[in-house]
Amino acid sequence: MSKSIIDVQSLTAVYGSVQALKGVNLKVEKGEIFGLLGPNGAGKTTLLAVVEGLHKPQDGIVHIGGINVQADSTATKRQLGIQLQKTALMDDMTVSELVEVYAALYEVYLTSGQIDKLLARFDLVEKRNTLARRLSGGQQQRLALAVAIANDPQIVLLDEPTSALDPHARRAVWDIVRQLHDEGRTIVLTTHAMEEAEALCGRIAIIDRGEIVACDSPSALIANLQLNSMLKATVELPLDQVRALPSVSHARYTGQHLEMETAKPELTLSALHELASSAGRSVRDVMLRQPNLEDVFLKLTGRALSESN
Amino acid sequence: MKRFLILTKAIFLMHLRNGFVLFWNFAFPALLMLIYGVVMSQYMDYMTPGVIVLNALSFGLVGSSNMMLEMREKSVLRRMQASPLPAGQLIGSYLLVNLLIGILQSTLIIIAGVLLYNVPVSALSLALAYPMILAGLLAFMALGGIISGVAAKAGTATAVGMTIYSSLMFISDMVFPLDMLPNWLRSVVPYLPAYPVVQLVRSALLEATLDPNWVTHLLLLAVYGIGATFIAAKLFRWEPKA
Repeated sequence: MSKSIIDVQSLTAVYGSVQALKGVNLKVEKGEIFGLLGPNGAGKTTLLAVVEGLHKPQDGIVHIGGINVQADSTATKRQLGIQLQKTALMDDMTVSELVEVYAALYEVYLTSGQIDKLLARFDLVEKRNTLARRLSGGQQQRLALAVAIANDPQIVLLDEPTSALDPHARRAVWDIVRQLHDEGRTIVLTTHAMEEAEALCGRIAIIDRGEIVACDSPSALIANLQLNSMLKATVELPLDQVRALPSVSHARYTGQHLEMETAKPELTLSALHELASSAGRSVRDVMLRQPNLEDVFLKLTGRALSESN
Repeated sequence: MKRFLILTKAIFLMHLRNGFVLFWNFAFPALLMLIYGVVMSQYMDYMTPGVIVLNALSFGLVGSSNMMLEMREKSVLRRMQASPLPAGQLIGSYLLVNLLIGILQSTLIIIAGVLLYNVPVSALSLALAYPMILAGLLAFMALGGIISGVAAKAGTATAVGMTIYSSLMFISDMVFPLDMLPNWLRSVVPYLPAYPVVQLVRSALLEATLDPNWVTHLLLLAVYGIGATFIAAKLFRWEPKA
């Protein structure tokens, strides 16, 4: 029997007039951090909305913990902790009131001691009597996460949990996500930031235009496509000569910077120096970058992830 | 039940902490009584029930749905939809809080009428008037529910609600007697939702009796209330129109 805690089969959904999901199949295993990576409008939020029981699909089926979401969404909702893309909290309520109310929505009734204990984990205990609208963006996001687990769910769905946060606040949210995972919870998060997906997720589904184009661990996604390293340098040379250098599979200029994809960076760099020297030029600002999820997305979709957002 | 009580308390607190709600629901009715008193002090006996209904109408059509619309636009309702909370409990909590606010509003106007203009009230008149006010509030709030269900945005709902409110205000015997209206309009007005409430509240509050046509008036209100509740429930949306 499969230990998949979320099982999505042949899911098709429309959002407005857009075909948001086109036959999506997906399995999330118990206890993993699973990422949905894709540009804005790729279908990530619609997919989560169907799993959350908020959006009715055209076709397909979703099981959570073995229960069909469409058949018994009340039962599946009880298993989930939710953080929507917008923090979506009542901003005239205090931090502790919000935790109490959102736990109560799941018929979980917390004592003030339990609320304080939960808030302490999110570094919000001193803000317990502060109205939500008076919190900073990072604090509001931490509060949204505290509210998401107020009902002690085993599955936590986070929609863009770090969007619009500064790097410090983003790291704080990452630490919280890791803590939730360490407690044995299954986390599904959406993001369009490949560094976030790489930093947090054990497995990633890359989603583009409503379709899952790849699904695996970040390292396997990179390895399976046999992507080369990216060598960057500042030098002016004819592109056709650069492309003829040993091991270079692709080369292009972005501004003054030459970018080359190469399987053997040392060999390519040495040849580049020789070519530049013979042309009376010098090679400056050399950088070597290992392939990452951005390259995977580019390879699979023909577009850069950052350009698509 | 505990969930319902916690949610009701939360919605009540949200209303109390909202300056807009406090001004329009509590400060404005008191201000209205002062203004009417300055302009028509000798008619305040007649006017006070009219002002009560006028406020109930404004609150029902516009004010009562404001918080719900705001929660819908800020995705608060969507977040609630993601929980196992049944829609009926949310609407029930919201309705209870708004009825309480509507009753408080009316009480404030009655107190102002008694203290400032010696409007004669007795225990009997109050005992008869409050159920009529409650019936009016329920019907008006159900009509407001239709408006907020149809309108795409809070601003649109307010504009539509205010237009209906302003029209009914002048023709429903609230502040201007019915005999000031043209004949054709006078024959239509008794079938509009505000008119029966005015008659019911006026007889109860000022004469401590039931209006001779109280059964017809209550039946008409029931038709409006039940019909509008049914339509509003069909139109209820957790999220803004896409």
